[in-house]
Amino acid sequence: MYKIFLYDGTFEGFMCAAFHIISEGIDKDSTIIVSKNEYQPMFIDNVREVQSDLKTFLEIRKEMIKKADNSVFKRIYYAFLSDTKDKEGYILRYLFYVLVHGKKIKYLYSDDIVNTVEKMAKNVSREIGKYMGLIRFCETDKGFLYAKFEPKNDIIKPIAYFFKNRLNEFYWVIHDVKRNKVAIYDRKKVQFLTCDNLKLKVTHQDEMFQMLWKNYFKAMAIEERKNLKLQQQNMPKRYWKYLLEKN
Amino acid sequence: MDILEKLEVLGAAAKYDVSCASSGSKREKHFGIGSTFSAGICHSWTDDGRCISLLKVLFTNECIFDCAYCINRKSNDIKRATFTPQEIADLTINFYKRNYIEGLFLSSAIKNSPDWTMEMLFRTVWLLRYKYQFNGYIHVKAIPYASLDLIRKTGFLADRMSVNIELPSEKSLKLLCPNKTKESILKPMEFITKVAEEEKNFVAAGQSTQMIIGATDDSDYKIINLSQHLYKKFKLKRVYYSAYTPVNNDPRILKVESPPLLREHRLYQADWLIRVYNFSADELFKSKDENLDLEVDPKVMWALRNLDRFPVEVNRASYEQLIRVPGIGIKSARRIIKNRVFHSLEFDDLKKMGVVLKRAKYFITCNGKTFERFLIDLEPEKIKQKLTDKNSLQRPQQLSFFDREVFTSVITGEI
Ligand code: SF4
Repeated sequence: MYKIFLYDGTFEGFMCAAFHIISEGIDKDSTIIVSKNEYQPMFIDNVREVQSDLKTFLEIRKEMIKKADNSVFKRIYYAFLSDTKDKEGYILRYLFYVLVHGKKIKYLYSDDIVNTVEKMAKNVSREIGKYMGLIRFCETDKGFLYAKFEPKNDIIKPIAYFFKNRLNEFYWVIHDVKRNKVAIYDRKKVQFLTCDNLKLKVTHQDEMFQMLWKNYFKAMAIEERKNLKLQQQNMPKRYWKYLLEKN
Repeated sequence: MDILEKLEVLGAAAKYDVSCASSGSKREKHFGIGSTFSAGICHSWTDDGRCISLLKVLFTNECIFDCAYCINRKSNDIKRATFTPQEIADLTINFYKRNYIEGLFLSSAIKNSPDWTMEMLFRTVWLLRYKYQFNGYIHVKAIPYASLDLIRKTGFLADRMSVNIELPSEKSLKLLCPNKTKESILKPMEFITKVAEEEKNFVAAGQSTQMIIGATDDSDYKIINLSQHLYKKFKLKRVYYSAYTPVNNDPRILKVESPPLLREHRLYQADWLIRVYNFSADELFKSKDENLDLEVDPKVMWALRNLDRFPVEVNRASYEQLIRVPGIGIKSARRIIKNRVFHSLEFDDLKKMGVVLKRAKYFITCNGKTFERFLIDLEPEKIKQKLTDKNSLQRPQQLSFFDREVFTSVITGEI
């Protein structure tokens, strides 16, 4: 019978669950880690709920970085942000691999688990990279900058930290419309909340800059080199929904 | 003229400049607005598929010079406009905070005098850095004939500076740019190289330049040879190639119906080979008048001419040998070296490491075996035929168009 581990949906929570499985020597192949709000109970299940605990998280994090390195840990984190089904199962197995192979895990190209986790991480990292450039802020009547997006993966955290560094002098809000999450920055720190009913109005000044940008965007294209296919290849349509210049 | 109109005129006038990368800056961060990101960030892609990373504008398009290939030349009857430093600074900050752009790319025609123009560029950048405490990426042109002192002052505020070399030979320059001389371009270039070597925060992201392709009869060898020289002697970070878009009807310019985009693409690939793969221009070309093969990429072209160096045994070859195999890039070569320590590699492993077997299979063996039994004794012509893109074979007369359909890597030229 499968042992089911429930966690709170956060990366920290997941790693704590993994910590218990690893440290208690529980057989990973008869284990399922699943987020609390995605779990559909069946009464024959053997369920255990794991609390998110910072100390435990830091411990397993340290262990992973010691066994491999920072880049491997980052890969694990990015893979966790992926919207792949059963990502927990792949990452759990990957963690066991790290314990066995250490740094060498980076070179196990032919292993399916390693490959899948790597692909998930790469996909997430690529999406983060795209959104660093493709998020558009507007100026609201409430005096802060506001941007919305609908990423495929759950990347609001890394995105928010990127803009914390970049737009450090402004108040801003980034809104993941699909997941109803917001990141709020008050010129000191970022907070992550769920979002209820935002009512905002764009300023006149902002409308002017939107127009300037749209016109500029048009003026930059060289007619003789027109290549819409290439444009789409670099900037797939799913990014266009909130992109000023494409609307 | 209002700012909307100015931006339209002076943005459009800057679009032919292709060097818009925003990467590689190591300038120290201060307090204030923004940051640079060392990998560079694209903020949009135009309808022609080129990345927009920076607000790319001319300070003015009113020019006292008369270069034959240039839309802004004195003798053209076009709409003219000039920004003020304040206007550009304002646009930059407002575009930046909305995350439309990564920074500013400021170029200019030459109005009044080279020094007047350079002074305006300096003032714009000064406003951004000091009044607005702007930390984003700034690329400024150094204007030919401008005083070195002005260039120096500007360079301390910019991430990157560039002087456009425009044409690959003195003869072409004389023909098309009667007002510019070789020295007017090379002198500031050399100066920037020198100061950058001595001073820490001077053009932290280095120097680049741009060349126009296809407006003159200069061969690809000449172009790549010049680039090689620029990389070595002036330590340039990048040379950009811009397929000439016919904007003027001038008898001195070679007739082109549409910009030679495929040729431009091949030049980027060849450039990549000399910059990253340690090829030399002399290895890639047989003679000074030679052009790159439009049908296959330059690495394949080179390999076919040097078949006696192949096949290469993947499990033993050195890194230098591996990266010269068509279809094996820097990344996959590194992976091969790290991996073959653990176990000897088969073709299946190579695929997973990112080797493009479609190209590589003619040039490698795995544990003594070739990919398919017969592959080893193919003739260069036959290999070439197999590697040539179908589209170009079917419609050789339309070479300048077919890239629209088969292009995948623009600008970087990575093979
Ligand atoms: S100096 Fe520059 S702007 Fe003026 S005509 Fe020559 S290329 Fe054009």
